[in-house]
Amino acid sequence: MKVTHFIVISIILFSGATLSGCAQIAPWERGNLAKSHMALDPNPLQSSIRGHIYGSREAAASINSAGGGGGCGCF
Amino acid sequence: MNAPHSAGLAQHSVDNPESRDSKVSLTSSRKTTLQALTSAALVLPGLLLSPAQGASPSNDSVSFQYNRYQEGKRNLYNVHSNLKPIMVDVVHGSGNFTFYDRVKFSFSYTQDTWSGATPVTTAPLVANGNRPILQDSPQGVITVGASPLVQTQVLLDQNLNPLRLIPEGGKVIDPRTVLILSSASPETRNQANFRLGYEWNEAAVNAGGGFSLENDYKSSYGNISGRLDFNQKLTSLKFGAGYTSSETSAILDPDLLPYVTRTAYANQIERRSGSEILRGDRQDWTANLGLTQVLGKGSLIDTNIGYTHSSGFMENPYKVMTVIFINPDTLNPGSNSSITGDARALLEQRPNIRNQLALSSKYVQHISPVDAALHLNYQFSFDDWGVNAHTFEADWVQPLSHGWTITPRIRYYSQDSADFYQPYLISNQAFRKTAIDASGRQVWVDVNDPNQQFFRNGNDNFFDANGNLVDATELNLRPQLVSFDAAKLPQNFSSDHRLSGFGSLSGGVVLNKRFTKGVELEAAFEYYARASSLKLGGNGQSSFADFDFYVANAAIKVDMEAINSRMNKETGHNHANHDHGPRHAHGAHSVPAGIMFGHMLDNPGELMVGYRFMYSRQAGDMLRGAHQASDLSIVNEGCSDITLCRFTHTEMNMKMHMLDIMYAPTRWLNLMIMPQFMDMDMNLRQLEGRPPPVPGVHEHTGTGGHTTGGVGDTILSSLIKLYEIPGHRLHAGLGISAPTGKVDLKMRRMFQVDGGLFHFDMQLGSGTWDFLPNLTYAGTSDRWYWGAQLYGVKRMERSNESGYRLGDIFQASTWGGYQLSNWLAASVRGIYTFRDRIHGDFNEFNARIGPMDFPANHGGQYWDIGIGVNASVPSGKFSGNHFAFEWVQPLRDDVNGFQLEREGALSATWHYSF
Repeated sequence: MKVTHFIVISIILFSGATLSGCAQIAPWERGNLAKSHMALDPNPLQSSIRGHIYGSREAAASINSAGGGGGCGCF
Repeated sequence: MNAPHSAGLAQHSVDNPESRDSKVSLTSSRKTTLQALTSAALVLPGLLLSPAQGASPSNDSVSFQYNRYQEGKRNLYNVHSNLKPIMVDVVHGSGNFTFYDRVKFSFSYTQDTWSGATPVTTAPLVANGNRPILQDSPQGVITVGASPLVQTQVLLDQNLNPLRLIPEGGKVIDPRTVLILSSASPETRNQANFRLGYEWNEAAVNAGGGFSLENDYKSSYGNISGRLDFNQKLTSLKFGAGYTSSETSAILDPDLLPYVTRTAYANQIERRSGSEILRGDRQDWTANLGLTQVLGKGSLIDTNIGYTHSSGFMENPYKVMTVIFINPDTLNPGSNSSITGDARALLEQRPNIRNQLALSSKYVQHISPVDAALHLNYQFSFDDWGVNAHTFEADWVQPLSHGWTITPRIRYYSQDSADFYQPYLISNQAFRKTAIDASGRQVWVDVNDPNQQFFRNGNDNFFDANGNLVDATELNLRPQLVSFDAAKLPQNFSSDHRLSGFGSLSGGVVLNKRFTKGVELEAAFEYYARASSLKLGGNGQSSFADFDFYVANAAIKVDMEAINSRMNKETGHNHANHDHGPRHAHGAHSVPAGIMFGHMLDNPGELMVGYRFMYSRQAGDMLRGAHQASDLSIVNEGCSDITLCRFTHTEMNMKMHMLDIMYAPTRWLNLMIMPQFMDMDMNLRQLEGRPPPVPGVHEHTGTGGHTTGGVGDTILSSLIKLYEIPGHRLHAGLGISAPTGKVDLKMRRMFQVDGGLFHFDMQLGSGTWDFLPNLTYAGTSDRWYWGAQLYGVKRMERSNESGYRLGDIFQASTWGGYQLSNWLAASVRGIYTFRDRIHGDFNEFNARIGPMDFPANHGGQYWDIGIGVNASVPSGKFSGNHFAFEWVQPLRDDVNGFQLEREGALSATWHYSF
């Protein structure tokens, strides 16, 4: 059931990303996309510390765990 | 356990739309006129220098960050606890550099120190697991704290509900559950990451690795990741894989040890000098795949899937499960009689395999009317432990005028409980009972030979397994006891509330200010509330574990690429071989790394950001004055007339990280602010000839080592130029040190004994406002440079909050150096230091175990020699970076009282001025 749930969510999210991929945006139309606050992570320093804190207080999996580290969090 | 501390690294694979744009247009510009025009448009300075580049973590930049995590008090219902909640101080530094245009290198370093009260288990409230610690006071007996009690009796009704005895007589059901807290002395963790990447026009690969070290947990890891761009860089595919290997070696809490059942881990426990160390290994394999798609002129979406396979020891070695054992014979359903349960603590048991899948999607929308960006993020994850989790996040990034950006954010999180999570367990068997053999006879054993069994007949005569009568008076016979049957317990169990079902709501704000000079300041605050009732669908059933915390942080980022670009524009020089007029002034004024306040900025408006690391070590002989002291003399004379010394330190290490920010408002005045972060560790040994331990009184031996760490004092200073002619200059410094470092750090309570305040040298600051005057002369001639400095510290208060003040300091040093090449110089320095003894004394309990706990054994006169090298980058894109190292070797110590010999000190500095 969980797997089904997961697959459904995956399909919805990935199709959103791929189906819309046909739009063409010329380089000179990308001014807004280039702004720093449009970066996928506008505050990378914050993300790193928040990820660490949530990771030590919650049991969810993380996309970014490939980075490793973080320590025991044994408190 | 595998927290994504390197989320910042994963960032790198996030491509920056603008850099993509410029590259794609540059490479394909020959193909069509349109593309040629496009590239021409994009090379316009305004576009290339847009803020997006400044925000890209792959630019040449360095950053420093400080965080404070502070939890609120846990709800212990009827017990007043003075245990301080968990607090974590984190300092973080990172740098990103580009070599040869396409090779990128980045590193980061994190140090965190935590302390405070942490839950060891949960139990019915009626078990009184948080035992009040009472003390006599003028107001009568008061509660001064609480200590954990994990082995006790619990009254239950026939339906196994916990019962409370009421004063009026009788019993009522009390279904409440409570966390049982235990305090912890400070512990420090260090983590270092590095990463090397190569960029093509439409692809990138990275390889990285690092390690995280703490006393009881070590992990090392490596990872690779990459990115492929398609569709005119409107689409990017990202992928990554990593491996982490971790090792637990946890000293089990000696306070709880006698009461914790750890048979399940008998093979993993090593006994060493009275301690038990639980060891375990763990491996994590991870893989992730992601897709970023530009949807329109102002929107994009990013979707990622991540898989983690973990195996090995995933338990938290400090968490135990309360198991209430009940004798099945006492169960009598339907009756009103109560049952006495035997509450015991067992080390938690988690599965040895965990597979986790996470899926996240982020949508970013530009809000044109206000030029803001809305970031919406949803993540779903599940694993084979039964933890399904949903995270919703929304950030509104709003740029304001004058380089300010404000980002309010909100986050909601909900997770289901792990299959094996239980606040506590009830087991329908006795914890321990007398052994009965197959024919129903009670088994007796000889204490001296437990393998031989004996039985008793109706006449109270004992006979052995062969039926031969034995003389019981010659044997030491006891009934054989058998422990509970572990197979009747669940295979896995944990009462760690982080595996329970709950929800949380948090919100905060990030404030950024970007200065035109390429410096960015960032501050953030977030408040987080965990509530069982916030779980999606409700029914979290763990409200006893609800808590809240806040996180506050401040960061500074220096973007060297932006600075270089700006300076090139200002001076009109070519990027590759520019000549920074103002920077050359510093190369000529090298001072050894160990000298603080040694150089000044010359140009009004100039700014310098620097980092200073200092490490000093004491080890070797104990000294009295300038000579070696025997253990017996320390025992008898090192402490006081009423207290003889029992222990002394064998080594003490101190590390300091200091951020050094300097600004020149005018030619003759510089202003400086220098926050400090400290960590120390100390090991002790017993003195030979010490008085014997008093039976029944526990002593803090400290042989396992103590650590402390966190924010130290903060220095604010001004430097004033007094005299300057070519080749000679003289400047004075007037500074103050603000008492931001703690001086009331305490060791945890053990065996009902108050740990008391840590030794003087293990506290993080002076605790007093201090005056820091200094005078520096520096001279140069051709390739030679020399100088001298007088430096002092005057404590401006009589005592700090712990009742004492550190000694004043006077230091004189003089140095000479030679510029070996245009980037490298070497120096020699002679140093004399006088440090006064400590005045006053602790006004709170301190264990007074050795010479380091007595004010008279501090200070003295010290003579040292320093050997240093200085390096600076004279030209190119990293011009303006200066590095210096100095090793200070003690020549002679003449100490007050009894002190440990010094082994030396290392100073390393980096600074960048612009």
